[in-house]
Amino acid sequence: MAELDHPFRSALAGAVTAGGQYGRRSACPGVVVSEIHAPGLAMVAARKGRRGDLIAAVRAGFGVDLPTTPRRATGQEIAFVWVGPDQWLALQHPAPKDGMEGLLAPLAGLASLVEVSHGRTLFALTGSRVREALAKGVPIDLHASAFGPGDAASTLVAHIPVNLWQVDDRPSYEFAIARSLAQSFWQWLTVAAAEYGVQFADG
Amino acid sequence: MSEQTSSPDRPQAPQFSVATRSALVGKDGRTGTRGQSCRLPTGGLIERARSHSFTFDGRSYAGHPGDTLASALLANGVHLVGRSFKYHRPRGILTAGPEEPNALVELREGARREPNTRATTAELYNGLIARSQNRWPSLRFDLMAINSLLAPILSAGFYYKTFMWPSAFWEKVYEPLIRRAAGLGRAAGKADPDTYEKAHLHCDVLVIGGGAAGLMAALAAGRTGLRVVLTEQDFRLGGRLIADNRVLDDRRSVDWVAHMAGELAGLPNVRMLLRSTVFGVYDHGTYAALERVSDHIAVPPQYEPRQRLWHIHARRCVLAAGAIERPLVFGDNDRPGVMLAGAVRAYLNRYAVAPGRHAVVFSTSDETAATVADLARAGVGIAAVIDPRASVPHGIEAAARAAGARLIGGGVIIRALGRARVRAVEIRTATGAIERIACDLVCVCGGWTPSIHLASHLGGRPAWSDRLAAFLPAALPGGMAAAGAANGQLALADALAAGAEAGLEAAAQCGASGQPVAVPATDGESTFNAALWRVRAARGKAFVDLQNDVTDEDVALAGHEGFRAGEHLKRYTTLGMATDQGKTSNVTGLALMAEFTAKPIAQTGSTTFRPPYTPVAIGALAGGHRGKEFRPTRLAPSHNWACERGARFVEAGQWLRAQFYPQPGETDWLTSVKREVRTVRSRVGLCDVSTLGKIDVQGADAVEFFDRVYSASWKALPIGKARYGLMLREDGMVLDDGTVARLTAERYVVTTTTANAAKVLQHMEFCAQWLWPELDVQLASVTDAWAQFALAGPCARHLLHKVVDGQHDVSDAAFPYLAAGQVTVMGGLPARLFRISFSGELAYEIAAPAGYGEALWRHMMESGREFGVEPYGTEALGIMRIEKGHVAGNEINGHTTAADLGLGRMLSGAKDFVGRVMAQRPGLMAADRPRLVGLKPVDRQDCLRAGAHFIRAGAKPTGREDEGYMTSAAFSPTLDHWVGLGLLVHGPERHGEQVRAYDPVRGGDVAVEVCHPVFYDPTGERLRG
Repeated sequence: MAELDHPFRSALAGAVTAGGQYGRRSACPGVVVSEIHAPGLAMVAARKGRRGDLIAAVRAGFGVDLPTTPRRATGQEIAFVWVGPDQWLALQHPAPKDGMEGLLAPLAGLASLVEVSHGRTLFALTGSRVREALAKGVPIDLHASAFGPGDAASTLVAHIPVNLWQVDDRPSYEFAIARSLAQSFWQWLTVAAAEYGVQFADG
Repeated sequence: MSEQTSSPDRPQAPQFSVATRSALVGKDGRTGTRGQSCRLPTGGLIERARSHSFTFDGRSYAGHPGDTLASALLANGVHLVGRSFKYHRPRGILTAGPEEPNALVELREGARREPNTRATTAELYNGLIARSQNRWPSLRFDLMAINSLLAPILSAGFYYKTFMWPSAFWEKVYEPLIRRAAGLGRAAGKADPDTYEKAHLHCDVLVIGGGAAGLMAALAAGRTGLRVVLTEQDFRLGGRLIADNRVLDDRRSVDWVAHMAGELAGLPNVRMLLRSTVFGVYDHGTYAALERVSDHIAVPPQYEPRQRLWHIHARRCVLAAGAIERPLVFGDNDRPGVMLAGAVRAYLNRYAVAPGRHAVVFSTSDETAATVADLARAGVGIAAVIDPRASVPHGIEAAARAAGARLIGGGVIIRALGRARVRAVEIRTATGAIERIACDLVCVCGGWTPSIHLASHLGGRPAWSDRLAAFLPAALPGGMAAAGAANGQLALADALAAGAEAGLEAAAQCGASGQPVAVPATDGESTFNAALWRVRAARGKAFVDLQNDVTDEDVALAGHEGFRAGEHLKRYTTLGMATDQGKTSNVTGLALMAEFTAKPIAQTGSTTFRPPYTPVAIGALAGGHRGKEFRPTRLAPSHNWACERGARFVEAGQWLRAQFYPQPGETDWLTSVKREVRTVRSRVGLCDVSTLGKIDVQGADAVEFFDRVYSASWKALPIGKARYGLMLREDGMVLDDGTVARLTAERYVVTTTTANAAKVLQHMEFCAQWLWPELDVQLASVTDAWAQFALAGPCARHLLHKVVDGQHDVSDAAFPYLAAGQVTVMGGLPARLFRISFSGELAYEIAAPAGYGEALWRHMMESGREFGVEPYGTEALGIMRIEKGHVAGNEINGHTTAADLGLGRMLSGAKDFVGRVMAQRPGLMAADRPRLVGLKPVDRQDCLRAGAHFIRAGAKPTGREDEGYMTSAAFSPTLDHWVGLGLLVHGPERHGEQVRAYDPVRGGDVAVEVCHPVFYDPTGERLRG
């Protein structure tokens, strides 16, 4: 992609300040948020009757076993999140040069590929109180005994559709939010986590 | 205490406090029990070292941390706290808990004022301000008490009988009158300054209630290691164990509770929620609880909510909600000073307050022994112990003897005397003699009603127990078990054992095992109760439901008039309605109806319980979703630029769209919008249309899929072309319109209207997944992925040339009307280009990855300056589509067919599609359906309004003459007069006819001329230009 006069604009531009603190001031904010800038994202949906071939091709091409339950599976650089029967969200960060559709081109014919890199805003969330803060919107159980690294879910947070998955057991989570709703999600998060203190870290 | 002392009813303060008053006044005069004339010198779970000052009706009082407003008022000798709902009778404090029917006050001031707060649950804090309600001009002298004199016409059912006719009077006269005369507190009338939040909580075992059974259940389940949540509505654990003086394993009950609380606190898997009421049970183990996070302080701390609504998801639940004591029904049993015996014990033991000096105990329960003992221990004189049973149990006899109290077996109170405070009771002895006994406190107990509400929230009917004279849980919600008093196990030993067992059993059902928890030994007790539903031949009004002023006679009246079923009794008399939902009165009311009908109570049936168990503020249910956060807001890619430009925005579904872009000097919206329309019609305008739904469709069977979901055929759509399509609902009505563009052999992009984007995708997913799973078609929403901008106007192509990279030929020949293709813009940015038009002008839509949307927009505004480009908003868009006769949401409103909208030609006769068959129903094919027409005012100066109804010229404007209505109207800057679209009976055949556009609601009556709906460029030359 050629150099452009006008840069990519984050959906959060103007709404957040890198390093900014929100809610209760604290030397050790309970929730630390960052935006994963300009990731590569694509919807991958198996063509009719080609699921098995697709799974084999992803394993061969990307070294990833496509999950068939709400899980995230990671390869060298790419990750696939199960988002529905025969549907996955593929992610790579930073985005590949030729876009996700280019990267996933070997899967053509086995899956419909839809570049949605600009369609979602990715939030990374962690911190000592992140579970308590998320409980104010996430209706599913994020307790360590119920949801662990690699687990994924599609749900609603404050009426906002989200795809989320747990990255590690610190715990850290990533949330994919429709770009147009990113500021509403951020607004919810700053209110929900205000009592613990929120830091917006520079992704 | 001017008002208090001026009353002849007011008793002397108990003597003990006279001595202690001086003894306890601290040096600074601010500690101790100063002024609290009825505070006991020792005991109680109050922090005597600290004082809270508060006001009630403007007078200052003092209480202690650990008090409720009710206990603090009683400590200060205040019994009169409110006026009743209907008759404005003076009322006091009946209970010590959330079941309180009388002591409702307005708490706090200004925007935080909260009506109908139960003084018995309001935790005292320093600076608390409370007012009595439903009285005027003052609590003691209430003019509305005249309602008492109207009692004969205010009896049960008076709403229905008295105010039946004329019906128009109901809204204007009767209801406002009734609302003024009978009512509760006043709402704040200002925006609530506090915040509320919602949160989710997941656990294996939820234990509702922190009394004896609940504590045992939580410990038993908690020790297995499962995730346990224990909720307690009070600010202290313990339930009756902190209200009564009991002994468990040689510990005082308060100490045993503290010990249990410590044990539970030591289990990291157990979470205790105090001040939290589970108020609703829902499907699949979901429970709603209200946590009063900051109600016990004047103002919530920063970043903390006033209240929190918990959605608790539990695999198993132990209902240990306890039981509620029942009052007895006798004459004037509502006088302040008549209190539940269990509540009196709670005030004595927990709060160290003597609610009177000379007590009479009137009870049908063996628990009288405990009441007598506690009163005596506190130094309260006992004037008489009255038990209706001819043969009084030995325990009561012994207690009365020990207290030196007179025992009256086989007697009843027929009437309480006094107004603002009880001063005596009239009794009828076993021999029938009438006697008057002076007293200032009447402790009543008619037995206990298990708190089974939550057990029947999902519709399970409770079962009547003759032995307990109460309903017990039966057919409980899945996963729920009841234990303790809520399950009829009223004796402490039984409640402890049942709780321990229920906790372990709930854990076992979750797959965990543990050792049984040792049940502590308890002191002996008898909880036997000989139910007495009312005192016969009582004098004065005998209240069943104190909150709603329902008497035993009202119940009988309901019976006479045939309202005998539990639900009918409730509706007819209002028994069991309002804030307390009959917690102290339901069973008695049903029992009286059973007596009236001479049927067993089991056959009279219970009313059903619905959430909420106790009142919940709407604010708590809304949580953070109010004001701008009522729902999420979607922002379009050019939003930031539009803000800079000073655009006015309009909500379109969740989207915030630029409505128009005022320029300096423009003071009204119409000026701005006219300019925007003229810009598009004469030069070129830019509009952000990213909000329209965009669906990526791929697959070998995509065309077949389109053929089935759209009304027209798609087989001939070539690559690089777009076409307008219409989608019907299964019932034959139009669902949505939009375009389908074919990008490659097997890849398409569908557009939908902004409003219907989600609905259309849902419909298509349903069709793909369920109707035709054999088709190879995959759908993905790409609305957010692409910024899409319309550039419209005669100069659109000039601007396009400056945006699209040079290697792409976008000349009219190479890229004609309805062309679609992939291009690059701004030097290499991949984009999609569509030549489609909503405005009727030469127009294109460019789509670019959303993150570059703002850059593209700025680039186009910059590049278009030489052509006079201006942005235009939804208003201009709307005007231009009306000028062009394009239907939109106002016309595609779910009531219109394709033929109604003049789109009948878009229904293919050569294939099947969703909605085809149902669209052929006679009603939808009828010739006289209102159909799309254009409308212009006969007098071109007249203004048109959407919503006006069409009446044939000369006809009377009645519903019968209604021939349709104006769906859209706008001032057309192009034609310089108003234009409208509408649905008119036989409309297409009536072009040229004049009809009335009649709008009685807004006083409109305009003669309009029916015309073709396309007002502008009917041949479409401009969009092909």
